[in-house]
Amino acid sequence: MHRILVINPGSTSTKVAFYEEEKLLWSTTVSYKKEELSRFERILDQFEMRRKDIEKIIQGKNLDFKSLSAVVGRGGPFKPLESGTYKVSDKLLYDVKTGNVQADHISNIGVLLAHEIAEKAGVSAFFVDPVSVDEFEPVARISGIPELERKSLLHALNVKATAYKAAKDLGKSLSELNLIVAHLGGGISICPIRKGRIVDVNNANEGGPFSPERAGSLPVSSLVKLCYSEKFTYPEMKRRIVGNGGLVAYLETNDIREVEKRIAEGDKKAKLIYQAMAYQIAKEIGSMAAVLSGEIDAILLTGGAAHSSMLTAWIKEKVSFLGPIYIYPGENEMEALAMGVLRVLKGEEQLKEY
Amino acid sequence: MDKSYLILVINPGSTSTKIALYKNEKELFSTSIFHSTDELNQFKRISDQKEFRLQLVEKTLEENNISLNTIDGVVGRGGLVRPIPGGTYLVNEKMIKDLQKAEWGEHASNLGGIIAFGLGKQIGVPAYIVDPVVVDEMEPVARISGLPELERRSIFHALNQKSVARRAAHEMGKEYNEINLIVAHLGGGISVGCHRKGKVIDVNNALNGDGPFSPERAGGVPAGQLIELCFSGKYTLQELKKRLVGQGGMVAYLGTNEMPKVKERIEKGDDKAALIYEAMVYQVAKEIGSCAAVLKGKVDGIVLSGGLVYGEKFVEMIRDRVDWIAEIFVFPGEKEMEALALGCLHVLEGKEKAKIY
Repeated sequence: MHRILVINPGSTSTKVAFYEEEKLLWSTTVSYKKEELSRFERILDQFEMRRKDIEKIIQGKNLDFKSLSAVVGRGGPFKPLESGTYKVSDKLLYDVKTGNVQADHISNIGVLLAHEIAEKAGVSAFFVDPVSVDEFEPVARISGIPELERKSLLHALNVKATAYKAAKDLGKSLSELNLIVAHLGGGISICPIRKGRIVDVNNANEGGPFSPERAGSLPVSSLVKLCYSEKFTYPEMKRRIVGNGGLVAYLETNDIREVEKRIAEGDKKAKLIYQAMAYQIAKEIGSMAAVLSGEIDAILLTGGAAHSSMLTAWIKEKVSFLGPIYIYPGENEMEALAMGVLRVLKGEEQLKEY
Repeated sequence: MDKSYLILVINPGSTSTKIALYKNEKELFSTSIFHSTDELNQFKRISDQKEFRLQLVEKTLEENNISLNTIDGVVGRGGLVRPIPGGTYLVNEKMIKDLQKAEWGEHASNLGGIIAFGLGKQIGVPAYIVDPVVVDEMEPVARISGLPELERRSIFHALNQKSVARRAAHEMGKEYNEINLIVAHLGGGISVGCHRKGKVIDVNNALNGDGPFSPERAGGVPAGQLIELCFSGKYTLQELKKRLVGQGGMVAYLGTNEMPKVKERIEKGDDKAALIYEAMVYQVAKEIGSCAAVLKGKVDGIVLSGGLVYGEKFVEMIRDRVDWIAEIFVFPGEKEMEALALGCLHVLEGKEKAKIY
């Protein structure tokens, strides 16, 4: 019986969950106020506070450290890595502590926390499919100017977890399938997966369809003009495309339920913008179909926005000619982390080395 | 016997004026008049070059014993007029006013309509322009980007795209406006258009940087990183614009925009050249795939045209990625003069009605 503790630090909370095999036994969340966090200069400085709170939770649940089989932490924007489940190694801990990562992000301390708890339990710590999963083919890295390389950053955890679920439902192994997975959340990632490898992705912060909060691809010359217009500072411009772009920029909300409510009330602009989002998602799926030379076993729609039947119907209308479409709404990070480790513990998947 | 029409075609470029005479579909004569920078620099505005170029055209026709009286119609390259649906347009006073004032931008092609109008008046025949770059048949949904202040616009190689689309329709024995096509113009700039029943409902804007990179343009690039570059202080606005259009794409990676040179390097085993060449194909294929989604997979044909298509390998590599979508038609090169002549001919023959600007 494998017993797995899952640790997922977010910007204002830490989620902790406990799995026995596939079964969730409990999960709980510690929330932090912004003021509480603002006293820390660096994200890494939050480690002690978060560690103590996790240990309190464990004590409160009367969980015996010795009964754990493994601890898994959310992975961060580490160096580019193949997808899969990794053991937290000394090299990784060193890289995270010394800032040798692609971005400073709270998820980076997930592995530090997992490592600390695992040490106490005398078991191994793991991480699964971080955002820096990179299985690009060389051809996908080229943009249109050398100094701006296309990079693989994506919602890899949910994308891979969804791909595994679909493979199981199709009765096939992931390594024999070609899939296009669309993660539809606050950011959108559209991934062609060839025999288990994510060979391209739009990179939600840099391009592709616009999403509830991000601008996606933009007409480049106009964007450059805007940058030089002196209307915006650099941080403002960045924020304009990630955080305040997409639906927020057009409709001042990132909540698709609110958008759908407005559409139901006859708001034509809301409808046009929402349709444009579906349109761009469909176009990105079409472009990834060309990456797979049209050999597609299934298209998977996942993430929070996949709950919307309006959005998924518009997407389906445009791309159903490419192959069967399956919808796996929502995302369950805790489960995805636990399952990633379970596959390795059961010997269904090979552990990767950082 | 059907009546035959003599058509004079005027195509002003930045340093030359091309002229051609067609008898129906057949070219009887064509030549290019070159203009030195000194000659053109004496004019403050492009529209001021009208008399200068017009006189040279008249002189050239005279030298070649082409009598103006025999001509049935004059057609000029369309310039920057307001966004309009595709087709052949009668040049009228209103259009001339916009072109002269450069109301929608300065470009040498603005002289096409102006010179054609001048000659037409002189001869007493109508003057036309055909499918200018500002042809705009985009659907509202295609105009949205991800930021309201940066609207997606329809500016593309409309003349060649429409002309090869009609050719493909003809080969299929169908009318252009009853089929769906994806048309890729592959030249110094690359545009891929979704043609739905004769209308280009979406197209990447090769000038404004969206879509595949081309021999000299960067196309779409990662937006966040681009913003970083803009604020890095490394480039002035002019430099960066040039880096994206003119010095972007293949030329940025390989130092040349000439395909024969790139092919030679690939043959000699230059891996980087091979990778960049493949990446260009890859991006074109992705753009074609996205058009297929716009057309909901109902695609009657994919048409590849422009200078890059002369290479068989290029076509084969695109075919590998997209031939599952639809049959592929290949029309190498770009026949602007013929496209203009045919646009005019269809109106003179009454097959198509001239549109009014």
